[in-house]
Amino acid sequence: MIFSATFLGAIVYVALAWCALAALGLSAVLLRDLVNGDVW
Amino acid sequence: MSDVEAILPAQTAWLLLSAFSLLWIALGAYWGRRNTSFEDHALAGRNIGLALGTATAAATWITSNTTMLAPQFALQLGIWGMLAYATASFGLLLFAPMARRIRTLMPHGYTSGDFFRLRYGRLAWAIFLVFTLFYSLTWLVSMAMAGGILLKALSGIPYAWGMSVILAVCVIYTMRGGLAAVIGTDFIQSLVIIAGIVVVGFAVLSHVPIERIHANLASERPALLSVLFPAAIIAIFNNLLFGLGEVFHNNVWWSRAFAFRDGVAGKAFALGGLVWFPIPIAAGFIALASGALNVAVPAADMVGPLVIADVLGHTGAIAIFIIVFCSLASSIDSLLAATSDLVTEDIYRRILRPAAAPRNLKKVAQYVTLLLGVLTWAICLPRIGTLATVLFFAGPLVGAMIWPIVTGLYWRRANAAGAVGGMLLGAGVGLACYFAIGWYVATLAATAVSMVWVLACARFSNSRFDWAKLKETA
Repeated sequence: MIFSATFLGAIVYVALAWCALAALGLSAVLLRDLVNGDVW
Repeated sequence: MSDVEAILPAQTAWLLLSAFSLLWIALGAYWGRRNTSFEDHALAGRNIGLALGTATAAATWITSNTTMLAPQFALQLGIWGMLAYATASFGLLLFAPMARRIRTLMPHGYTSGDFFRLRYGRLAWAIFLVFTLFYSLTWLVSMAMAGGILLKALSGIPYAWGMSVILAVCVIYTMRGGLAAVIGTDFIQSLVIIAGIVVVGFAVLSHVPIERIHANLASERPALLSVLFPAAIIAIFNNLLFGLGEVFHNNVWWSRAFAFRDGVAGKAFALGGLVWFPIPIAAGFIALASGALNVAVPAADMVGPLVIADVLGHTGAIAIFIIVFCSLASSIDSLLAATSDLVTEDIYRRILRPAAAPRNLKKVAQYVTLLLGVLTWAICLPRIGTLATVLFFAGPLVGAMIWPIVTGLYWRRANAAGAVGGMLLGAGVGLACYFAIGWYVATLAATAVSMVWVLACARFSNSRFDWAKLKETA
């Protein structure tokens, strides 16, 4: 029994999209912290 | 790592190395200008916000292993290998509530050693220090050595030069800026690494669709797609426990729990774990494409860079060089800072000079960072070979510390006999399994034995720990 191409595609695309969202999210939180003077 | 042809001209590599080195040192000097005391230097004034907190948790956990070993794991253990690697993020996710509790119980704490000393007494503290210093130095040496080997493999820069430069740069900015410099650079490094992995990943997919990767694997290496791949499934448990033990005990993570602003620690570690989780999959699948792309892989540990260079050419080689350099720096600087704080606080301040002034302690921490750098450099220079075996050897030590820490933080009945016995028995049985059976069961055995001993001692104990004792102020 092997993993299907659909499963492989799903975990790869989800991982890449997740990474992209994580980078955007981190930038957004930094901007919020900068505006609020909460960086450190 | 086997010798393969460099994928980036040495001249370009030196240019990139110089540019990033200057950037990190300049930022370290700039961010370190406010540090006047040991607390500023070691804990960045205990005021780190959510963005920097999340990024530093993720970036520190993204070592060169994540970016280089994840593709190797995928190449050797297939889909389960990538998923097994991703479980290391559970260490950060499960540490999130613990970080919140640490911050509450020990508002004036500096290191994980402080916890062992105050919670379990001097014998458990001494054992903990031996275990954690051995592990931290091993990790530091393996990272610095990996730096020299990777820079040579990627660009032909001689091993001694690559290793020396990356170590020197990290020592300089960590000495100058302390934890603030480490965390500030971690933010930039984490964005560079994640963005680089996304760009490279989509570039690979634009050259070879998933269906072709799957068809190639199904015909050439079907085991990599197997739902039941025993070695890979065992690797999940080993990786999971190693990750938990490492994060739960190491001062790299405790120092961050102390440094984050009130209310930030739990959220930052949870988000850091979520940020980290997809990275081994996004970086690892590239290796699975090697067959469909007809990329020859003479050394499994170079599969990632070889595929990327094949797909993206010179641009890909530059991208992977930057990703690897950032991954190395983000881990080496954190280890230097956290280990020097541990030596300064737990050995210099608590044993040698209890009356030392804060400004003096800051200087000591800086000198300890320098000494650690020199010691690491001296061990790495002869290039004694891979340290992966030694890191696995440290697995039982790390696993044996999980239960004394977890029960010590949450259970008043947890006691010194349990902690001391749990660490010694767990490590002893784990090491015996390491030699008698193999590395893949050592951490599991150590954790299980330690758990039984710690829980039994707590269950039959009449002692009730007073949490207020952890609020030591000086």
